[in-house]
Amino acid sequence: MWLSILGVAVALGVVTDDQRIMTIAIQTYILAALASSWNILGGFAGQISLGHAAFFGLGALVTREMWLGGQPFPLSTLAAMVVTAVVAAIVGVPMLRFRDAYFSIGTLALGVAVFLTIGNVRPGISSLPVDALREYEFTGPYFLALGVMAFTVPVSMWLKQGKLGLGMMAVRDDEEVAGASGVSPLRHKLMAFVISAALAALAGSVFAYFSISYYPSFPFSVVWTFEAILVVFIGGIGTTVGPLIGSAFFIVGRYALASNTEEFQVVLFGLLFIIVVLLLPGGLVEGWQRIFGGSASDVVTRAMETKTGETKGKELV
Amino acid sequence: MLKVENLEIAYGDLQVVWGASFEVPENSIVAILGPNGAGKTTTLRALMGLLPILSGSASFKGDSIAGVATYALVERGLVMIPEERSTFASLTVEDNLELGAYTRRARPYLEETLREVLGIFPRLAERLGQLAGTLSGGERQMLAIGKALMARPDLLILDEPSMGLAPIIVENTFNVIRDIRERGLSVLMVEQHVEMTLEVVDHAYILELGHIVAEGTSIELATDRRVREAYLSL
Amino acid sequence: MTQLILQSAVSGLLVGGMYGLVALGLALAFGVLKVLNVAHGELLMLGGYATFFAFNSWGVDPFVAMPFVFILLFLFGVGLYQLLFRFVTRFDVETRIKNSLLISFGLVLVLQALAVRLFTADERTISTSYSSEAFTIGLIRVPIVRLAGLVVAVIAALILEWLLTRTRFGNAIRATAEDWTRAALTGIDERRIYMIAFAISAGLAALAGTLITLGYSVSPSIGLGWTLKALIVVVLAGLGSMRGIVVAGMFLGLTEGLASVWIGGEYREVVALIVFLIVLSFRPQGFFGRAYA
Repeated sequence: MWLSILGVAVALGVVTDDQRIMTIAIQTYILAALASSWNILGGFAGQISLGHAAFFGLGALVTREMWLGGQPFPLSTLAAMVVTAVVAAIVGVPMLRFRDAYFSIGTLALGVAVFLTIGNVRPGISSLPVDALREYEFTGPYFLALGVMAFTVPVSMWLKQGKLGLGMMAVRDDEEVAGASGVSPLRHKLMAFVISAALAALAGSVFAYFSISYYPSFPFSVVWTFEAILVVFIGGIGTTVGPLIGSAFFIVGRYALASNTEEFQVVLFGLLFIIVVLLLPGGLVEGWQRIFGGSASDVVTRAMETKTGETKGKELV
Repeated sequence: MLKVENLEIAYGDLQVVWGASFEVPENSIVAILGPNGAGKTTTLRALMGLLPILSGSASFKGDSIAGVATYALVERGLVMIPEERSTFASLTVEDNLELGAYTRRARPYLEETLREVLGIFPRLAERLGQLAGTLSGGERQMLAIGKALMARPDLLILDEPSMGLAPIIVENTFNVIRDIRERGLSVLMVEQHVEMTLEVVDHAYILELGHIVAEGTSIELATDRRVREAYLSL
Repeated sequence: MTQLILQSAVSGLLVGGMYGLVALGLALAFGVLKVLNVAHGELLMLGGYATFFAFNSWGVDPFVAMPFVFILLFLFGVGLYQLLFRFVTRFDVETRIKNSLLISFGLVLVLQALAVRLFTADERTISTSYSSEAFTIGLIRVPIVRLAGLVVAVIAALILEWLLTRTRFGNAIRATAEDWTRAALTGIDERRIYMIAFAISAGLAALAGTLITLGYSVSPSIGLGWTLKALIVVVLAGLGSMRGIVVAGMFLGLTEGLASVWIGGEYREVVALIVFLIVLSFRPQGFFGRAYA
């Protein structure tokens, strides 16, 4: 099932020329990648970061400055990821000592502080140079964004099933017990923090590649953090597919509201976010589980099995 | 004064009290006795609106109290002193007592009631300016009862008044309870110490695992063989 | 150089007074309801806009508008509580903090977007006859409006402290803050107390918004920056004392101001962040406080 969706997306990239569709699709992929990265820290390790945009923005910033400064794009991306990972490691050590709400507040403070500072330090708009503008076409960014998003899925899956991911989830569920059983909370939280930051930077670098002109502080804006969290909550926090489902829902929603202004959309999604937090902390995936039973990975497995003709003796409904 | 019929209470998904019926007549002292975990505190909390009542009826002075907000019950004259005492550690003794008379029912009589309460507990008068958090266990008990009296209740509910206190303070407390009844109030007590309690109360019920298994006057229960074997040290 | 340092220090103290004022509201909501409202800055912003329009459309002086703006946001706070935060208060403290944090996070976006829709994203300022006036002490410039901000902050803190410690209603608030169940058993309508406390916190945000619009400017996105400062101040001061909050605010402002002499004003947010992390690491209960109640 997953591969067929991917196939459709690839086909779309080849077939369509419509700038608007491409733009929306690219934005979806970037958001999905960002959301997946947040999910690693928030869903697997249970640390709710409200300042995630700081790493997205940092990735975008380093990439953009290096790339427009003449460096090849892949190198810029790599540098961005490394720089961001290092920064995350440095900042993460004090931050992760705080628990729960204090961590969230700390990351919020980080996010806002960085956003405002970049706004002070780099007030001028960043635009692609004229010749790049002339040559600009969507295919490149499209497949890059798609590739990055596709990349985050196996990374998430690998993490979730691997020892590291299990350790993170153990810490998430009960930090004291995990520590007592020999699973170092700080180490696992820090790994989650750094990995999620690096992946956010990757998404940010795609943003830098794709965007024609923007204020350097824009990718640091709290709106990105918000959308990532919203999307993860809608799709189902802690699952592998959740961020993707949520992004799809989000984008379909945006399309449906395309006639209304951007602000109206934000208001609507903000309200949706609040409702989801209040009513359904598990997101759409939990809702699915409640109605149909079974875990999220069950759902995907079953879907794949149905497709290939095997049954497990269980009905989907 | 208080009439409860077929009360069923659940704590989350778990039902803890089944078909409990009891009554506190005017100007009497009634106790609900039973071991730990029997559901005594749960019953009290449900009566005071802190837990939902699944089914059954409860009425105070003839009016139903199901679904009534806690503070409104206090306004009607139904006051409970919880197990952990209801004093505010960050406020002074005086402020605690004054707050006790917060309801519209009690506020006009604040001065008068305060004098009465300080008469019952002269030790509190010495400690008016002190923070309630710095009081000893016995003093906090006094303050809790005094504060409850400030609300001018018609029925005072006490959840395990003997809990965690030295015997002499418990004796003192029980004397105060007798005194309270002399002043015209009714008292409902929940306790684990059967022997001591039976000396004070008029009527008692025994609650085990959410069911009322016995009831009677204190003499009836004290002479009941099953009760003696299960609860009294005989 | 000394003049630069002194001027930075004074400016820092003045803006610190504003930090304190913003923090008062946040501290009240958190201390009483145990609810963390990161949309506090957005309430500030709305108060600022109310002041702006009062001035622009009817020529009402901001200081005259203040009580009305307070009432306006007070009512808005009542609405917010009834529609939203009321549902958070049925949880235990830890869940309350987490949920209110997330919910108010969503609220930030909603209110910001609404503001852009209603007011446009342009920055608005108020120019009164006195808004650019300043006292000059030696070579130090003390803008009147900023000084007024500090004065209002101090007065608000004193009034709030008086309310909380010397009135029966204030005692009821503190009692509810300590333990809402016990308060209910005492005959206090704890939900009403919560609502009023929250509404007062919104009103305080409005006051700050008025002064900020007058002393600086207002735009839909100013909220988070001020909320951030307020959070830092609350952590610095702890929750025990209202006066302590204004002092902590001034301390933060002073630190920022002095630091900016050497590393440049553009990095003042980073300075604040570092102060925040340091204090949170070493003294989670703040300078002044045992936990509230």
